[in-house]
Amino acid sequence: MSLVFRIAREEWRLWSRSRVVVIAALTIAVLVGVTSLLTARGVADQAANRTARQAEAEAAFFAQPDRHPHRMVHYGHYAFRTPPPLAVFDPGVDAVTGQSIFLEGHRQNTAMFADARSGADLGGFAALTPASLYQLLVPLLLIVLGHGIVLRERESGTLAVHLAQGQSGLTLMLGKALALAGVGGLLLLPVAALALAAIAGGEAPLAAVLLVGGYALYLAVWALFVLAVSLWLDRRSVALGMLVFAWLVTSLVVPRIAIDAASAAVEAPGKIESDLAMLSRQRAIGDGHNAADPAFEALRKQVLDQYGKQDVAQLPINWRGVVADYSEKKLTALMNEIAEDRMTREAAQSRVVTAFGIVSPALALGAASRALAGTDLATHHRFLRESEVLRYDFVQALNNLHARALTYADDAARSSDPEAEARTRVSAKAWSLLASFRFVPDPASARAARAVQPLGLLVFWLAVLCCAVVVGARRLRP
Amino acid sequence: MTDVEPLAVTPALEAHALSLVREGSRVLDDVSFTVAPGEIYALLGGNGAGKSTTLLTFLGFLSPSGGSVQVNGREVGADVAAARGAIAYLPEAATLYGHLDAYENLAYFLDLAGRRVDRAALEAALDQVALPPEARGRRMQTYSKGMRQKTAIALALLRDTPILLLDEPTSGLDPVAIDEFHAMVKALAAAGRTVLMVTHDVYGACQVADRVGLLRGGRLVGSFEAGPQGRIDTETVHAAFAARGAS
Ligand SMILES: Nc1ncnc2c1ncn2[C@@H]1O[C@H](COP(=O)(O)OP(=O)(O)OP(=O)(O)O)[C@@H](O)[C@H]1O
Ligand SMILES: [Mg+2]
Repeated sequence: MSLVFRIAREEWRLWSRSRVVVIAALTIAVLVGVTSLLTARGVADQAANRTARQAEAEAAFFAQPDRHPHRMVHYGHYAFRTPPPLAVFDPGVDAVTGQSIFLEGHRQNTAMFADARSGADLGGFAALTPASLYQLLVPLLLIVLGHGIVLRERESGTLAVHLAQGQSGLTLMLGKALALAGVGGLLLLPVAALALAAIAGGEAPLAAVLLVGGYALYLAVWALFVLAVSLWLDRRSVALGMLVFAWLVTSLVVPRIAIDAASAAVEAPGKIESDLAMLSRQRAIGDGHNAADPAFEALRKQVLDQYGKQDVAQLPINWRGVVADYSEKKLTALMNEIAEDRMTREAAQSRVVTAFGIVSPALALGAASRALAGTDLATHHRFLRESEVLRYDFVQALNNLHARALTYADDAARSSDPEAEARTRVSAKAWSLLASFRFVPDPASARAARAVQPLGLLVFWLAVLCCAVVVGARRLRP
Repeated sequence: MTDVEPLAVTPALEAHALSLVREGSRVLDDVSFTVAPGEIYALLGGNGAGKSTTLLTFLGFLSPSGGSVQVNGREVGADVAAARGAIAYLPEAATLYGHLDAYENLAYFLDLAGRRVDRAALEAALDQVALPPEARGRRMQTYSKGMRQKTAIALALLRDTPILLLDEPTSGLDPVAIDEFHAMVKALAAAGRTVLMVTHDVYGACQVADRVGLLRGGRLVGSFEAGPQGRIDTETVHAAFAARGAS
């Protein structure tokens, strides 16, 4: 063991005496530091900002004056997705999907306020997240450091001297692996610091620890790959070329191919097509603002029968409110069906992309990282579903109010009769029917469960590379 | 051609009918020779003759396809660790670590070999190879070829093994350095060390070695020892070396 450590120490001494290595390491350290600080600041701002905006939106809703309930349906409300603590490290899909939704009657809006604005704020640095730096740049540093870790000694003849002295190839390789592991450990310090900060900020230790573990696994895969290449090839330039090529393919090309393959494998109708399909089916449901729409004929008969009346004006409840409630229900079922279909497709595409992790550790790590940080697609979908429930509940509560607190006669006469109009205004106290909404991340165990498969892919690679190194070490010759 | 001289003592190194196939081609073919303890044996041959291969076989890095190699009377394949423990090996163009100075280099290799030596022992070995004292604390990347070679030899000395295998130790050295080197090798042999060195240098081989073996195309085609004058005749060896196509 002390031999292994001695070999590793010698490697560290070599690197510390090499200007290229020191400059490369410092560059990465500065990049990681600056990016972490900027991302941390950005995400902390957003977290504070969105929590405040959520409270503001609720206060604004509650503060509306006495009004007709349906005007409140169109006044609407906002739902905000507050970033989880680990978003500081990996903002994940946030930048693309947007983190807030305008909720109103008869519509499901898409999320908005993606990060483009904050990107401009921070001079473009925001797009470079600590997570993407680790996934892309840190392997390059390991390549620069490690491609010659065995070949350098082979080319200078020192390997021959060591082996002729009776040194075992396995001990030498353990020492080299430890040297690279030391660098990996050093590189992980910022991740660990951010994870600790996240725990202090309320994150579950399990998720934070697994996140650090995931990155450790990723760096270990790269370190072993670099070591294996340096061990198995016989020229340094070839090894460097091959490593850089492998980096290009697994980190840049495969992810691109994965996205294309996912959209080819899972057909997703474009926005225009789905909007058109939606419109035609929506027409069949009828316009909830027009109680006389023939689409509500069957409903009218049924409600009249139920109350034993001949005309909607005789009903003890407001027919317009009944129609609003009924059409919202139908419309929501339709919108949910379409939304679920879209989310199912998106989830399937995301699974295809993650499956490419078998040939790209960067993809596997990315999936695990987003899942653990609570910034993955599944979390965003849950936000969409929960905010939809919030929307439906307050819209239907208002429609219920419309049906029960307002008479049909007043409602029908309100545009011509100012007194009737005054009677259709409901007391502002009623607006407290809006439930307060705070989006919380999935429990750590659920996030961990989603990270198991991609982390498993990394473990698989680690095992394969371990074998490659051990076999190569056993047959190591000068 | 084989050595027929009967030996009273166990040879330090012995190749017997050694043949070796490397990636389909026969690199050594029926090579037999012995090196007695305290003897200097020079294996002479052109490029690709199989000299380095022969050394690697004694170290157990390559296994014979036929015949045998023995170190101190023991089959190398039977106990590679024992063979390597008895041998200090100087590879062709050894450069050691450029980012370390001479002391650091020696200490590192010896650490890994499990030998603890103090600073005084390092100085003594570097004195013995005549590495200038002012160079010893400098990183080796600033050394000349001769200085690097001297440091590598110092390492071999510090290993304190009975046998030295030297692969082209004098190539690239200036004539003065070669003379110094030869003097040192002779002193080592006089102190009881066995030396097997590989070289292209006919003159040097004849000057330093007790016996010279001529290797061509993987076959030992000649063996020469000192005549009555106490010197191997350079002309004879040179003629044999130059006689391309013979046998
Ligand atoms: N790694 C290898 N794999 C296959 N064949 C090899 C290998 N190394 C050397 N050979 C072949 O073995 C033969 C002997 O090579 P060797 O290195 O022993 O020659 P040498 O006498 O040391 O030559 P030089 O004076 O050029 O060092 C050559 O034909 C060479 O092509
Ligand atoms: Mg050679």
